[in-house]
Amino acid sequence: MTILLFAALILYFIATALQFTGVAVRKGQGPLCPAARAALIAAFVLHTAYTVWRGIAAGRLPLSNQFEFASGFAWAAALMGFLLYLRLRSQPVLTVTMPAAFLILSYAALQPQDIRELMPALRSAWFAIHIGSAAFSYAAFAIAGGLGIAYLVRLRKAGGTDEKPPEEDPRLRQLDSLGYRMICLGFLLLTVVIFSGAIWAEQAWSSWWSWDPKETWALITWIFYAIYLHQRLRLKWHGKRTAILAIVALALVLFTFAGVNLLLPGLHSYK
Amino acid sequence: MPFLKKIFRFLRSMVFGMILLGLIILCCLAGSLIPQGESEMTYVRQYGSGTAMLFLSLGFTDIFHTWYFTVLEALLCGNLILCSILRFPAARKTMAGLKAQAEHADPAQEHPLEPGGAETVLAALKRARFRGNDRILTRNGIGACGSFLVHLSILVILLFGTLTLTTPVTQDVTVMPGETFTLADGTTVTCLSFRIQDETGRLDYASRIRVASPGEETGAEAEIRVNEPLRHGGTKVYQYTYGTKPVIRVTNTASGAEESFYVDAGDFLSIDGRNGLIFDALHPGYILNEDGTYTLITSSAMSYADPVYDVRTVSDGSITSVLAFPGETITIGDIGYTMADPVEYPGLRIKQTAPVLYAGLYFGFGLMIAALFLCFFMVPACARVEENGFVIRSAKPQDALLDEIAIALDGTDKKGDAP
Repeated sequence: MTILLFAALILYFIATALQFTGVAVRKGQGPLCPAARAALIAAFVLHTAYTVWRGIAAGRLPLSNQFEFASGFAWAAALMGFLLYLRLRSQPVLTVTMPAAFLILSYAALQPQDIRELMPALRSAWFAIHIGSAAFSYAAFAIAGGLGIAYLVRLRKAGGTDEKPPEEDPRLRQLDSLGYRMICLGFLLLTVVIFSGAIWAEQAWSSWWSWDPKETWALITWIFYAIYLHQRLRLKWHGKRTAILAIVALALVLFTFAGVNLLLPGLHSYK
Repeated sequence: MPFLKKIFRFLRSMVFGMILLGLIILCCLAGSLIPQGESEMTYVRQYGSGTAMLFLSLGFTDIFHTWYFTVLEALLCGNLILCSILRFPAARKTMAGLKAQAEHADPAQEHPLEPGGAETVLAALKRARFRGNDRILTRNGIGACGSFLVHLSILVILLFGTLTLTTPVTQDVTVMPGETFTLADGTTVTCLSFRIQDETGRLDYASRIRVASPGEETGAEAEIRVNEPLRHGGTKVYQYTYGTKPVIRVTNTASGAEESFYVDAGDFLSIDGRNGLIFDALHPGYILNEDGTYTLITSSAMSYADPVYDVRTVSDGSITSVLAFPGETITIGDIGYTMADPVEYPGLRIKQTAPVLYAGLYFGFGLMIAALFLCFFMVPACARVEENGFVIRSAKPQDALLDEIAIALDGTDKKGDAP
């Protein structure tokens, strides 16, 4: 069944290539972008089928190790990006979703994929809430970070004139607004991740907070996004500055996700 | 006192709050990158003596318990109180402010309407959960409390979180199956049984535990495992770890007396003090080599599948090393030493704390999630509809709502695929 996963990976790549070509060469018009969407849907269906198969084969939610979580993260990004596209019909959302899903699933494909029995410490009702909300939270932040990159690229291309500064471009405003909305959603979900993890830790380890590297980096990420939200809502930061903040914050998310596991072992190092 | 006023204004400012959050991030970075709570020698080996001494003197090796981290937390609490909580009355006036803005705007200039269009706009606004009289409508008024409640919940979490981390009395104990441990306040914890695997052979560290408060006869009884502690009053018992204890049965063949002992490395079992058995180690198993010899598995991380007792006999001044399997008996004089099956036992963590503290902490968690939802998804808005036009005022752009109104007015969707 691993063939499903690799087929999904290839289709995510094809979708990314078609979308980038369609946007760069044809300005989003013509058949390339619809073809990219079709490839994305096909990739998502195969990815979902693989995830369901793995869940049935393992007899549990397939989110218990780095491979499964990364796969779930990519799946959540594809789902959220596509739902957002359906609601807003915004091409930039797909332009950042497709490479995000492809890159995250590529990282997953590099991890050991053997199915193991769930270790006793992970057998809890909080498992699904904690890890599931983490996957969707990270996906929202990944899309927001991608939109930040898209904003800076478009800003550079737009240049701007005296009559119409680039920030006044409605497409730039849409990218800025979408990025903010994804961060709001991701922040709410990250809060759920931290609190559900705290309640679970109290049940498993007797203490709701241990300053474990994963906990500490989740807190660093949460505080950084809190700073972003304050800068935006109270100091009215927007545009280039918030785009840069969203990209830096995404780097923190990625370190919390992968870097901590690799470099800072702690209570969350489940092997 | 303009200087003091200036300082007070700074302490209650959002900028000061952001500076504090930035400093907390720096402490967290140091605390996660530098191992915490290790011995001094560990830091000297890892970083060299100069850097290690610097880290130790600055408290970087236990940064989350330093005075300056505590001061940062206290200042953050103060800032939250001054910056947000005391400004609650202002938050209550949010909707009044939006109404005033809508009243002063010119609807005909912002969103002009054809005759009869006002009815359509009103219907669209009501579908979008706007409520009010025929001219001024509002929605999500409760969302104005979101920011206040978020900051209040942070204070609740910091207060109850600190109490739940600092006040509990926690101790780790080993209770052999059948034994009872008595806490300082008289509460008893009895381990009735312990197992490592369930019926299907799957790993499942589970202890059957009974907890009784002082003066209580029966108490509470349950099977605990990882993630499923037993709570009884203010006492909570966790399945924390486990171990394997060797057992040696001593039989006096002359008198027939028999007694079993749990033994530790170095224990000397003897009746006369001269002859007897010294227990050295219990090995988890062995590997049979091709030449017929055995290699002992000494890693204690292994399960004790084929345990081997490593003992020394002491008889008339001579000492001999012996390896023995469970069931084997070594006889020295009239005394038989039988290696029994090792016993698996639980390591329990017992925590005593006031349950109300956790209730407060979890209330803070729930409050923050609800408050964030209010903040992000219940944005207050006010609309004013006149015959010649309408205006909408809100803290955030209302593009989706404007699109819905546009659709209602002319049946066309302004949105298309934007490249």
